[in-house]
Amino acid sequence: MIDRRHYRWTELWLLLLPSLFLLIGLLALEIVHTQPVAINQKTLPTLDVFTPAFGLIAALLATHIMLNIVAPDADQTLLPIAGMLSSIGVLEATRLGPDEGQPSLGSKQLVFVIVGLALCVLTVWLTQKRLRWLSDYKYIWALIGIALVGVTIAHAHSFSASAPGRDVLTIGSGGLSIQPSELLKICLVIFFAAYLSENSQVLANGGFRLGPVVFPPLKQLGPLLAMLAVALLIFVFVHELGLAILIFGVFLAMVFAGTNRLSYVLSGLVAFGAFAYIYYQTIQGYARLRVDLVAVAFQPQYATNQGYQIVQGLIAFGSGGIFGVGLGLGRPAFVPAATTDYIAAAFAEEFGFAGLLAMIGLFMVLLYRGMNIANRARDPFSQLMAIGLTSIFALQTLVILAGNLKILPLTGVPLPFVAYGGSSLVANFIIIGLLLRLSQSSLADRQRRRETRDEINQFQPPAPANGAAPAKWPTADARQPKGTRAPAGRP
Amino acid sequence: MDSFQFLLILRIALVAILYLVILQIVLVARRDFRRVAVAPAAATTRARDVIGHLVVIDTGSTPLQPGQTLDLEPITTIGRAPTNSIVLDTNFVSTEHARIIFKDRSLWVEDMNSRNGTFLDQKRLDQPVAVAPGAILQIGDVRFRFAA
Repeated sequence: MIDRRHYRWTELWLLLLPSLFLLIGLLALEIVHTQPVAINQKTLPTLDVFTPAFGLIAALLATHIMLNIVAPDADQTLLPIAGMLSSIGVLEATRLGPDEGQPSLGSKQLVFVIVGLALCVLTVWLTQKRLRWLSDYKYIWALIGIALVGVTIAHAHSFSASAPGRDVLTIGSGGLSIQPSELLKICLVIFFAAYLSENSQVLANGGFRLGPVVFPPLKQLGPLLAMLAVALLIFVFVHELGLAILIFGVFLAMVFAGTNRLSYVLSGLVAFGAFAYIYYQTIQGYARLRVDLVAVAFQPQYATNQGYQIVQGLIAFGSGGIFGVGLGLGRPAFVPAATTDYIAAAFAEEFGFAGLLAMIGLFMVLLYRGMNIANRARDPFSQLMAIGLTSIFALQTLVILAGNLKILPLTGVPLPFVAYGGSSLVANFIIIGLLLRLSQSSLADRQRRRETRDEINQFQPPAPANGAAPAKWPTADARQPKGTRAPAGRP
Repeated sequence: MDSFQFLLILRIALVAILYLVILQIVLVARRDFRRVAVAPAAATTRARDVIGHLVVIDTGSTPLQPGQTLDLEPITTIGRAPTNSIVLDTNFVSTEHARIIFKDRSLWVEDMNSRNGTFLDQKRLDQPVAVAPGAILQIGDVRFRFAA
């Protein structure tokens, strides 16, 4: 079942590092726990704290073995990166849990990671022969995603114009709550990728020109814009602007990749700018406040109530300095929502600028590998899928980090893999699964081409019966021709 | 060494591990990059090499359209299985029915031990034959014409 020539050694070697990280991190937490003098007023995890470590290591190894069976040639760095970020997440959840009154937060996060890994493998396995199927049923995928979110909103816990949108998009309660909006992102990427790959010619040619600017042909653009509008309106309606920005950004990235027309992207940005300006002028209440806080959070009247979270977050970043105050030695719990929205601040306080830079570096490497998979894709649909999925990671990270650092208004998008939260983690692992499948199929295709060459080389034309030369097939190039351009003179 | 010094060492180790992961992946990426640069032929043939066409004359019981043109690649396999280049999912066609190979400047048609046989200009093939444009290929109840 496992071919030794194809074994994923690199991945195994790379997976050592997240395991080591978690073990050392938990060891450090243990030591800090035995120093009550310096660490008063704080609760830290107790001795059973090593369970998450072994659980995670076992899960990563199991996933690694399964990948050897279902996708042996796929990119070997994706799982280690996701594993590394997840172990940061589990470590932080373990460290912050007791501080926030939830002692088993680390174990809960670990359960989510294990479920996520299982779904990752399931995704890789189920898409084996069925990538085409994904693109054939694109409308169904899009509608499923929208229906899920619609149902969730209809059953909303608390629906008021001034409350944060997060509650509206959650279904279930307390221990087991799901946010289908995470899955909607994937469905929309599938839809956009399928639609753009099928209509790329028409869309790239453009509709009508106005000087140097080419406008997209509206008839073909119809379904695309309709789906986009529906998704955006949903999120704007519930004031979950982070997701709206995310989807719009991913959409623009995919449009550019699919049509290579910068003018489409520019006109999209202009439309966004206009809409954002109008929106800002007309809304009141919570959403507007969030935008205003970017400028005014430190002013006295805001710093202790509405701006408290942002101010504490920045103080946390600052306290970290370059090398951080040390795991378990800081006070990240002063930042509200430190385990979900502000996990980057908690991490930066204890690991410092060096640590934060490393975490950003991990995301950049993830981005690079994802685009690499896109580059090697064998057909437009796979390529656009890879670009869209990678863009989800990239934009999500950008938006939440900028929000933490008061560069952009704070929104509710979770930092991938690191923030506490099951739905986000599971959806992100599904994305990794899809990327692995795209990587495997592109390599499988290349493998098939190599085998084709072997097959041709092994073929022995028979000697003609009567000694006459065999009929020649006319081609412009006598050797194996390269490229698809038909020579002159063909019908 | 007191525990705070030890903790400092651990903390440095943790951050170092993070950077090590990044470094390792960059090295892996460089290795892939070198491999691609060394073997450009394998990496750049994403475009298919079309060396000729089959024009559908008789659609038989397949969903093909009359006059439809199918591309011929350096090796084209025909059969019922979805792994073939040309998939004919109908009753008289075997899983792996025939293959068409371009070699030594000739286009060879070979029957792959199919049940109902492969016919070239109405003669059943028992060994590979080189064809010229205009030849008629019959597989099951589908007929094609070779075109350049």
